[in-house]
Amino acid sequence: MSWSRAEVSALAAKAARGAGAPAAQAALFGQAAALHLAQGRRAEALTEALDMLPEGPIGSLPLVLQRALPEAAVGNVVDVDWDGDRELAQSYVDTLPVPCVVRTQGVDKLTLGFVGSERPLPLRRISGCDALIAQMTKLARRTFVPESAASRLSGAGAGLSDND
Amino acid sequence: MKDYVPPPEAPLRAPAQVMRLSRMGSMFPTRLSFLRTLMRFLAAEKAQVSRLVWAMCARGYGHAVYSISFGGHTYALVAVSTELAPQDRTDRVIAEAWDSSYVLYDGVPDADEVARICATAPLQEAARFTERDLVLSRANKSVRLFQHVVERLRAGQQPDRRMVDEIGYLMRTTAVYGNGKFGIADRACIDTRPGLQGPFMAEMLTVWLIRQFTHDLVEHVGQGRLDRDLKRHLGIGNSTGLGMAPFLVTHPVLLNNWMLARETALARVRALRHLEPERATRLIALAGRAGRHLAEWRVPDAAHQARIDRLRADWAAFAAAMTAEALAKDGALARLVQASAAQSEDLQELLVALMLEPFPELVNGLADCMADPVGPLPDPLADTGQLREEIARSFDWALVPDYADDAQCKQFWYVSAAKQEPRLGNRFADSGAELESPLDIARRIKALFLDLPEWSEAVPAFLERYPDHLLAVQRVALTTRYPYAEIRDNLIGAGCRPIDMLRCKLAFFGASKFDPKSDRWTRITLCQGAPLADELDRRADDWWLPVFDA
Repeated sequence: MSWSRAEVSALAAKAARGAGAPAAQAALFGQAAALHLAQGRRAEALTEALDMLPEGPIGSLPLVLQRALPEAAVGNVVDVDWDGDRELAQSYVDTLPVPCVVRTQGVDKLTLGFVGSERPLPLRRISGCDALIAQMTKLARRTFVPESAASRLSGAGAGLSDND
Repeated sequence: MKDYVPPPEAPLRAPAQVMRLSRMGSMFPTRLSFLRTLMRFLAAEKAQVSRLVWAMCARGYGHAVYSISFGGHTYALVAVSTELAPQDRTDRVIAEAWDSSYVLYDGVPDADEVARICATAPLQEAARFTERDLVLSRANKSVRLFQHVVERLRAGQQPDRRMVDEIGYLMRTTAVYGNGKFGIADRACIDTRPGLQGPFMAEMLTVWLIRQFTHDLVEHVGQGRLDRDLKRHLGIGNSTGLGMAPFLVTHPVLLNNWMLARETALARVRALRHLEPERATRLIALAGRAGRHLAEWRVPDAAHQARIDRLRADWAAFAAAMTAEALAKDGALARLVQASAAQSEDLQELLVALMLEPFPELVNGLADCMADPVGPLPDPLADTGQLREEIARSFDWALVPDYADDAQCKQFWYVSAAKQEPRLGNRFADSGAELESPLDIARRIKALFLDLPEWSEAVPAFLERYPDHLLAVQRVALTTRYPYAEIRDNLIGAGCRPIDMLRCKLAFFGASKFDPKSDRWTRITLCQGAPLADELDRRADDWWLPVFDA
């Protein structure tokens, strides 16, 4: 089975929320996860990130982005502290509006180089990550509110009959 | 090459005035509405609709394929019509069967692909789709009107005009899914194609083609031909609930771009000092058409009908002052807007929509600015001092409510386990508030404001201590570049009416004849008065607030 990027992004965001991430961090993880998989990067990096919540990269990489954002202009280079998965970091900076190349510097630093060239469009269909999808689906369910008799009746505010 | 000089503009209406729920819930379609933009594009492209397949039994069950080419691509609508028992007919998202289902396909499907879609489209959310499938939709019959039209056509007669006017459509869609849902193509696959760059263009194309299918289907079953003016007045209905409402909160840049385009258009029109006589004549004629449209807009809900009746009476009085003499005076348009300030928001927003209509050269180009091709470009905040200033400047409205007060936090948004759709609960009566969706922007902004340090520090350092505030920080960072990005109301307060969010979004689609069924559910009509497939060359852009005798 293959997945659209939008599906994976929405599912990953819900999964991160279900695993305890704050709303914005979960949404960023969703965007990064879709780009990550669409670029053919390791699905295990996402699994590990979800497993580490409430610690780990889903909480810390958004702050890396916050530090980089003021410098996000073509030609700039920023050093940031980061000792986690470089590919996952690349997927996060891929969500920035300016194309950015991540390079490792020592064991706990990354160099973010904002380049001027067009970012290649990551339009690849997402497939081959069934275990991750299953994990995310399970975590996402934690954010859903079970239906009650009252909510089923009121639903989204519709009437009960549509035979007009 | 000449530089483009934008037309003069009056000051924009302030976000504090425009971005209130009650005003958003008073909006009307304009010539910037997406269906209008699509029709203009299709007309300019001389696009032609072809019916490639019509495999339908005498009772109207089977499938059909339509194709249309523009911008160097061909698209096809595969329509599947199935028998549905009355007890299974519901517009709610929990439905599992529909009268008809649709896929907008990228290219022309071969027989295998048509067979695949005929098997999967009727299952909707329960099936999986492919990257060739661009939009997924379904529609239910207005049984009463569909049956009436069939009976009349079979008797060699035309349907009752009053009934056509009262209902306005043969079928209504209950969902139109795009952008990757259930495996269909991501919007990124098509958003650079001519004609589909604008927001929801593929969805609007689907809706317009579905309308064509409903006309063909009723004529097939009725074995007769509808008069052209009757057919043109048969739009396509839509039934919409809460699922649509959070979009405006979760897509702040799009919301900004839609509103900014409309407000810029209004500012350009208000800046006109002098109105040519032919424009004045056009404006007066359109004001009259708006009055007739209001007279034809009848809904079952007594409260909403009373609101329409008030607007109809107020509009009649207001429009009476729009005479050729009055409009010939310098600054007449700006004065009209000033005069409307004493009227209801319904009338003010109707006037805005009217004023854009006679000025395509000032307005139409702004439709190119309504997409979000690059994503948010937030202005970085230097430190928490600047963060505090921005909140005070743009979110003062969010600091006022006491969110500990029951009335200010009575409602909570959540996602239902049943269909994974947005819902709104009562925090003090329903379970699940601990799983609240993050649409409580105003409350979050105030919480951020209260936690800001008295000294100034770097925002990332602050967020190290308060990671939960990142969402609020992001929203504040957007406001300088995107002033219309935020709905300036408390979306969890007892007074929040989701129907206002629905009407705003649907007006941008081009909807009219809003028919609310509750404060969180509405029926609407799309494409009423829109050109039929063979009329794009002559009626593409004159169907604002359509009336039956136009």
